[in-house]
Amino acid sequence: MDPPLINESSFSAANPSAYSLAEIWPFGGEPGGVSGLGLRMGHMGQNPSGLGESSGNRDGSMEESTVTDQSGGGGGRKRRDVSSEDESSKMVSTSSANELNNSNGKRTKLAGSKHENGGSKAEAEASSVVGDKPAEQASKPSEPPKQDYIHVRARRGQATDSHSLAERARREKISERMTILQDLVPGCNKVIGKALVLDEIINYIQSLQRQVEFLSMKLETVNSRMNLNPAIEGFSSKDLGLQAFDAAGLLFGSQAPRDYAQGSQAEWLHMQVGGSFERQT
Amino acid sequence: MKTYPNLGSSASNDNNSRRSTSTTRAKFALRFIRSLKEMKKRGHVSNNSSADERSQRIKAAAYSSMAHAVGPRRAWARALLFKLQRSAKRHRVLTNMTRKMSRTCLILKQKKNKKKNKGINKKKRVTNGNDDVLLNQTDKLRGLVPGGKAMDVCSLFEETAHYIKCLATQVKVMQDIADQLSPK
Repeated sequence: MDPPLINESSFSAANPSAYSLAEIWPFGGEPGGVSGLGLRMGHMGQNPSGLGESSGNRDGSMEESTVTDQSGGGGGRKRRDVSSEDESSKMVSTSSANELNNSNGKRTKLAGSKHENGGSKAEAEASSVVGDKPAEQASKPSEPPKQDYIHVRARRGQATDSHSLAERARREKISERMTILQDLVPGCNKVIGKALVLDEIINYIQSLQRQVEFLSMKLETVNSRMNLNPAIEGFSSKDLGLQAFDAAGLLFGSQAPRDYAQGSQAEWLHMQVGGSFERQT
Repeated sequence: MKTYPNLGSSASNDNNSRRSTSTTRAKFALRFIRSLKEMKKRGHVSNNSSADERSQRIKAAAYSSMAHAVGPRRAWARALLFKLQRSAKRHRVLTNMTRKMSRTCLILKQKKNKKKNKGINKKKRVTNGNDDVLLNQTDKLRGLVPGGKAMDVCSLFEETAHYIKCLATQVKVMQDIADQLSPK
């Protein structure tokens, strides 16, 4: 959809590759991104035709992996971006690197104006679609999750390409969650092995759910027994307790917003208890 | 009468250590007790439902009040609420029908579900590997945690942790209420 509409006149808008890369990695802290940029520029300069295609493709995939690395999830849209980027980089590869550099300034202006116009018209013109993307991409990596992954570095003897880095980060995250779960489930700390731990977790959840079922049955019998003698409802101590609790509930409901604003929750809990005592006596 | 201050003090104790858990605990308790009371009121009017049905309704009330107390930020709470609403709708539709019809419908649905489950299992068994047991167990976990079928492993574990916490709170509160209401 994009490529056929991009002609020579709108070409300045059709190369988000170099621009977006420069925008994405303003920090210079990530080795993958910077090296990718350098690599790409080198390729652009060296082989203005033919071979540049494959290099562009490879860079695109590499960049995709690092971006997903940063803001994990929602890969669908990014994949689309990258694919269109590949196409545009193919087109770039047929031109010289000089033109590429010159067009950057123009393109930023164009992208800015298009972005101001709003996304509703974006589908009408291919050039505006392309112009919108860098803005999106530039806004994405500036999110805070970037800081989470910067410490993921390869140790000695570990693979360093971005895919394995991302995979390692994911595995670390999962094992972290696993330890949290292990702390939650009683008697799970001594168990060794992922499968056994998962077994324990599943058993615990099942037992809790069964307990809920059992307790609901118990509550049902209690509730129905209280239904049987509605005449002495006002005098039974249990029912009085229930009502006191409910009165506290009403208090809670009326006071909740104010107390959230004040942030003094311990105080009002005591107040509630006191109030319910007064009602009971 | 004696147990109520106990409940309150434990809540305030929790408040010092874990504020978020205690607030969800209080919210859950209030919601649940309110719905219990309402059920009791309605039970006075129409007492023709069976005990099993009533206990099911209490269970649903407990789960929904827990989900409401947690709020819509958690995926499992959202999924749970959605599931409960859907089942309530189905229940309403079924009660409008005659009993025979509803029974046949239920049987048909159960059969369909069984067939579906079998198909899924067959498909998954094709993917062999070393961590087949792990995959199986993650699938089990997915079935247990509401809304877990649409999650990746990472968020599944996160949601599971929160779900376990909330379930434990729920069980504790329900136990307290049952103790309080039951005769001594």
